Amino acid sequence: MRYSSLFFLYITGGLVLLVLLLVHASFSESARQPVLEEKAALVKMLKLTDLCLFTEARYTRNLSQADLGTAFQDHPMSLEHFPSGSFTQPPESIRKFP
Amino acid sequence: MRQWIEKQRYIIDFTISSLLRRKVKNFGLLALYTLIVFMLASTMFFTYSIKKEASLILKDTPEIIVQKIVAGRHDLFPVSYIDTLKKIRGVAAVESRLWGYYYDGLVSANYTLLVPPANGDTSGKSRPSAKTTVVVSESGGQQADKSKPLFELGGAVLEPGTLITGNGIARLRDIGKDDYMPFRAFDGSVLNLRIAGALSSQSELVSSDLLLITAEDFRKLFGIDNRYVTDVTVAVNNPSEVEMVASKIRKALPEARPISRVEILRTYDSIFNWRGGMMIVIFSAAVLAFVIFAWDKASGLSAGERREIGILKAVGWETSDVIQMKFWEGAVVSLTAFFTGVILAYVHVFFTGSIVFEPALKGWSSLYPNFELTPFVNLEQLTTLFFLTVVPYTVATIVPIWRAATIDPDSAMRFTGE
Amino acid sequence: MIELMNVKKVFNAGNPSEFPALNSVNLTIEENRVTVLKGPSGSGKTTLLSIVACMSRPSAGRVKLKGREITSLPERFLTDIRRKTFGFIFQQPNLIKGISVLDNVMLPAYPLGEQRLHLKVKAMKGLAELNIANKAASKVEWLSGGEAQRASIVRALINDPHIIIADEPTAHLDTKLSYRFMEIIEKFKAEGKTVIITSHDPLVFESSMVDRVVNLRDGRIEDKPA
Repeated sequence: MRYSSLFFLYITGGLVLLVLLLVHASFSESARQPVLEEKAALVKMLKLTDLCLFTEARYTRNLSQADLGTAFQDHPMSLEHFPSGSFTQPPESIRKFP
Repeated sequence: MRQWIEKQRYIIDFTISSLLRRKVKNFGLLALYTLIVFMLASTMFFTYSIKKEASLILKDTPEIIVQKIVAGRHDLFPVSYIDTLKKIRGVAAVESRLWGYYYDGLVSANYTLLVPPANGDTSGKSRPSAKTTVVVSESGGQQADKSKPLFELGGAVLEPGTLITGNGIARLRDIGKDDYMPFRAFDGSVLNLRIAGALSSQSELVSSDLLLITAEDFRKLFGIDNRYVTDVTVAVNNPSEVEMVASKIRKALPEARPISRVEILRTYDSIFNWRGGMMIVIFSAAVLAFVIFAWDKASGLSAGERREIGILKAVGWETSDVIQMKFWEGAVVSLTAFFTGVILAYVHVFFTGSIVFEPALKGWSSLYPNFELTPFVNLEQLTTLFFLTVVPYTVATIVPIWRAATIDPDSAMRFTGE
Repeated sequence: MIELMNVKKVFNAGNPSEFPALNSVNLTIEENRVTVLKGPSGSGKTTLLSIVACMSRPSAGRVKLKGREITSLPERFLTDIRRKTFGFIFQQPNLIKGISVLDNVMLPAYPLGEQRLHLKVKAMKGLAELNIANKAASKVEWLSGGEAQRASIVRALINDPHIIIADEPTAHLDTKLSYRFMEIIEKFKAEGKTVIITSHDPLVFESSMVDRVVNLRDGRIEDKPA
C-alpha cells in the first residue's frame, strides 16, 4: 500500500475514534447525571463547601474556608504544601489585589 | 483536481519515505511529540472536567458562610452572634455548622468530622432534591430532643453513639456497618462510636473523608461548649443581594469573615489554573519542547537535506513543490502525534482515572477519593489543542524552507562527492 | 533549436571575489544533434550547460528556446519548461538514498500529478530498456556505479524530454561503461532527441556519433576546433 493511503487511513481512523470518544463523552455525561445530582444534593444537604481533592491539610481540604491570615501556613497558593498547593489558587476574596 | 490530489499523494508518499529514512530520529521525535500532546490533552481534559463538575456539584453550596477570625485564625463562632445576623435586612435564615478535622494516627489520615444539619433543606426554597436517597428526619432545631434520630441516610439512622463514614474512610480502614471506631477525645478519654452506615462511593468526590456525627458526640469529642459552633451559614432573600448582605455582616460583626458562594465557586474555577505550580511545569515543559523542535527545524537544513532539495529542483520540482513537501512533513508528524496523543489522553483521563497524574494529585494525603470524572469534552477544547500543537509545528517546519528557495537547481550539478 | 546571444555569467558580482564564468557566448545548438561542450575544468562548461537548461539565469544576454525568449520568464514558467523539455544526467547519479530505484526514477514526474499506474508502467518500461528492471524495488544504496548511472538516465527520460543534458557523464565510469553510455546516447539520437554533453573525455568527444564539438576556454568559445 502507498504511504499516503496509510497516512490517510490512519488520520481517518483517528478522526472516527475521536468522534466516537466525543459521542462516548456526551453519552456518559447524560448517564452520569443522576450521580452528579446525588453529589449536588449531598452538598446541599450537608452544607458542604469544598471538593474532597486534597485531604492532607485543612487549607487544602477546604480550600475556600482556609484561614488566610495565618503566618507560615497559608500562603495564598499554599506553595509550601507541594504538590497539592501548586494546583490551587488563592481564594477569590484575596485575589482582588494584584 | 484529480491531478492536484494525485500530486499531493505523490508528495506525501515521498515525504513519508524521507521520514522513514531517518527512522530513529523521526520516531523519537514523533514519540516525544505524542507525549507532549498527551500531557497537554490529559491536563486539559482533567482540569476542564473537574472544574465543570465542581461548578455543577457546588451550585447549591451555602450562599454565605460566616467565620469568626481571631488573631488571623479561624475561631469558634459564638451562638449569640446568630441573633445579630438574623436582624440584618435581607437575611432569610441563619444556620449553624459544626465541623472540624480529626487526625487518625493509625492510618495517618485527616478526617473531616461534620454534624449534619437537623433540617436538610434550610435555604427556604423547598425544591425537592432529585433522585437523592437522602431522607431527612422531621426533627427540628440543633439541640433538639435527643431521643429522636437526628439524621437518617439510606436507612442508616444517625443517633448519639453512632456515625456515618465516607466511603474513602471505610475503604482505608477496611471497616463497615456496625464496626466500631475509637476516637481520642480532647480530654484523653476514648470515644467508641458505632458505624451506622456509609455514604455512597459515587459521592466520594465530596464525601470521601467525611464522618457524619451527632452534635452531642461532636461536642463531647472536641470539648466544644454549647455556646459555640464552628461557623454559620446565611441564606439571603434575594440572591442578587449576597454581596450587600456580606458587607452588612462585615459591618455588624467586624471580626467575622463572610465567604460567599460566588467566591467558593470561583475558587474551584481557578483550581488547576495554568499559573499553578504543577501546571506551569507541565506547560513550560511543553513549550520548551516546542522551542527545541522549532529550533531544530529553523536552524536550517542539514547538508543532506540541502543536497536532496537541490536534486529535486534539478529534476524539475518547483520551489512551491518543495514547500508543499515540507508542509506535509510537518502535517504528517503533527497530525499523527495529535490524534494518537489526544486519544490516549482521553483513555487515560476517563478510563484509567488519570493514572499518570495520580501521584501528583494524591500528594501527601493518605486518604484520596476514588472518583470517576464525568467526561466533559467539547470541540472547542480539541480545537484549542489543535492550534496549540499541530499548527505551530507545521509552521516551524515550513519556515526554514524559504531558505531552500535559494538553493539553485544547478547546485545538483556541482556535487562532486557523495 | 537553442540560441544563446551574448550570454554572460558573473559569480559573486560586486564582491572582491567576483568571477566571470562566461564572457559573451554566442552559440546555436541544432535540434536532433549531439553537441559536446569541451574544455578544461573551470572553462565554464557546466555554467553554460546550466544556463542552456534553464537552471540558472545569465547575468546578461539572451537565451532563446525554439525561438522563444526564456531569460526573462519567472521561475514558475522556467521550471515548467525545464521539467517538460530537459532531461538531466549528472556527473554523479544524484539519486536520493533510502527510497527505491523505481521511486527515484518517478521523482521528476511527481509534481505533474500523473496517475500512478501509468507512471509506474512508463518507469518500468524505461528501466527494462536499460536492463535494470530487476533492480526496481531495491534501494539505490545497493546499486553498482553503472546501475546507478543507468537509473539516473531513466529518471532523466521519465517526462519524455526533447533535450537531454549530460554533465560529465563518463567522469565516474570505466571505459566499458563509458562505451555503454555512448550507445545509449546513440539510441537517443535515433529517437530524434537533442543531446548536449559536457566532457573532456576523448572517448566522448571523439565518438563518431557526436555531430559538433564546442571548445570552451576561460568562458569563451574558441573558434577553431582543437
